[in-house]
Amino acid sequence: MIKLESRHWIFLGLFVLVVGAMVLNISFDIAVTDETQRLYNLIDSLPEGSTLIISFDHEASSLPEIRPLALVVLRHTFSKNIKLIGTALLAEGTGVGYQLMNMVAKEYGKQYGIDYVYLGFKPQYIAAILSMGESIPETFPEDYLGKPVAQLPLLHNVKNYDDIAGVISIADGSLTTHWIEYGASRYGVRVSAAVTAAMMTTYDPYLASGQLYAMIGGLRGAAEYERLINRGGAGKRGMLAQTVSHIYVICLIVVGNIVYFRAKRKKRSNS
Amino acid sequence: MDWGTLVAGVLTLAILSFLYRDNPVYKMAESLLIGVSIGYFLVITWSNTVMDLLIVPLTRNGRWSLVVPLLLGLMMFGRFHRKTSVLSRIPIAVLIGSGAGVAIPAMLEARTLKQVSATVSPLFTSSGLPDISIIVVLLGVLTTLSYFYFSREHKGVLGTSAVVGTYFLMIFFGTTFGYTVMSRMSTFIGRVEFLLSDFLHVTQ
Amino acid sequence: MVAFLMNRLGPQIICFVFGLVLFAVYFSAHPVARQINTTVLVDYWQIIFAFTLIIGVISFVNLSVHDIKRGHNRFYRFISLFGLVIMPVFAVIWGIKGDSPFMWMFDNVQVPMQSTVFSLLAFFVASASYRGFRARSLPATVLLVAALLTLISRSSLEGALPSFIAGTADWVRGNPSMAARRAILIGIGLGSLTTSLRVLLGIERTWLGGEK
Repeated sequence: MIKLESRHWIFLGLFVLVVGAMVLNISFDIAVTDETQRLYNLIDSLPEGSTLIISFDHEASSLPEIRPLALVVLRHTFSKNIKLIGTALLAEGTGVGYQLMNMVAKEYGKQYGIDYVYLGFKPQYIAAILSMGESIPETFPEDYLGKPVAQLPLLHNVKNYDDIAGVISIADGSLTTHWIEYGASRYGVRVSAAVTAAMMTTYDPYLASGQLYAMIGGLRGAAEYERLINRGGAGKRGMLAQTVSHIYVICLIVVGNIVYFRAKRKKRSNS
Repeated sequence: MDWGTLVAGVLTLAILSFLYRDNPVYKMAESLLIGVSIGYFLVITWSNTVMDLLIVPLTRNGRWSLVVPLLLGLMMFGRFHRKTSVLSRIPIAVLIGSGAGVAIPAMLEARTLKQVSATVSPLFTSSGLPDISIIVVLLGVLTTLSYFYFSREHKGVLGTSAVVGTYFLMIFFGTTFGYTVMSRMSTFIGRVEFLLSDFLHVTQ
Repeated sequence: MVAFLMNRLGPQIICFVFGLVLFAVYFSAHPVARQINTTVLVDYWQIIFAFTLIIGVISFVNLSVHDIKRGHNRFYRFISLFGLVIMPVFAVIWGIKGDSPFMWMFDNVQVPMQSTVFSLLAFFVASASYRGFRARSLPATVLLVAALLTLISRSSLEGALPSFIAGTADWVRGNPSMAARRAILIGIGLGSLTTSLRVLLGIERTWLGGEK
């Protein structure tokens, strides 16, 4: 027989609220924060034909949150005719990055090898970042598809970070830190980030010091960016559920404290 | 519905079943996940590093200098036997030594000096009024650093400073908790979206 | 003497030399320095690191086989080994690109399960909010208020809330919260710096393992 404990009711409450909000499928516009606007402005101001590195520095576990972020960044860059070099510093980001780049490239009619390339994964992220600063073709002698980089026209004029307008690290952990500490500090490449919400406060000091140029984060960041590029997506669709879940957690904290203080008062009056 | 979505949907539900309690269906899914993840990692590492950076350049391009890192890599296998385990210390020494050599300037420059210099800003605005934000940041950095200074007992000025630092830390933890909730909910929302649209076709 | 050289002095000298060289070339733009940098980082680091990963996989297989022999979690260990073997088999037969079975497994088995495992944390965070997030003391209350402020301000209710809430939350994140994180960062930076120096100078030798 199924026996439910208090935690099960809490779980059930969250499940019902999120599913309900997603079924209702009401979307609304949200305010765009300055940090999201900054990344948008950066990409928007790049001249056509500039080259950016998009690094998929995440695991499969965070994909539901990372995917909307990656999509808005890719859509904006491809729509601005910016050339993209895809890399991955975590093995699981490799397959994801390749699929997402191909998917969005198809939407904008971009050609592999000319408008974008995908170089794939290299282990030991610090070594990968530093060695790309010396030579991208030597770090990645072949692309993800096994094609020698000499056969990829986009890379004919790209030797290292000097030929790159910036790096956008799409991350769910601390890998952006390594881009900042090794890529930006040693080679002066401009680093921006699209990260999970949980990582945003970790990067705040780098953002404040200017070592990290711009940052967007979480489903909310994706929703804000979708608004800027005038294109709906998972961010916008998920905002009602996100709001409802936040309110639910706030209620749980408040109720938990009421229960705690009542029990404490009762205990005091009994003694 | 294609087979992929069906499999993904069933496995998603199998993992969610853990919310009731640990059960054989969850354990099966978890075991499969562990195996597949390691298999994926192995294949990608083999393909992108061992093949691309070692075997192909060595065999096709005749880069014989790669024999050195190959030997160093093979020395790692010494760990599997007590008598040969000492061999693995050499490649570890290469990794640790070069890692430390690279880390010293990077840590000094990017993590310490840049952050210190970003903290030291004029405390007054151009109109002569105190800049509250900059004062708060300076106070926060100094008091939090003092909280982590354990070479002296936290008494007197240091004690007071450490207590103030605790409050700054609490603000950071609270803010981070808020963003962590946001992040975890985003991930769950993503899975619900998959179940409702791709798997069950309840929403578009 | 030979044992000492192999066990401790040899690795320590190699560690020091590699550390010193990499430290020195960091500051140099000379082509030779850059070439040394590339050689060590691409050839040595990447390749040795790949071998360490392979060793991790072999250790996992050893552990699973050991458990199967002992009859401990035999069924689940078999499933894990099946997953581990099937991926390289698919990769060898059909490759790893595009619509290969290898990528099918990644997309439809690994990604959904891994992200769902991660999404379970949403439930545990909710449960922890109810059970553990109590205003027991003044510091705990400060933590709680900061969390509530963030949750409210990032909940897309801007239109329904006074504007100062979002403004205050942004200020808190950008100033006191950031200051504490910055102090932690500086602390980690100084800690990493001293540890690296201790490793290079041979003061810190725990990475060499036991005294044998």
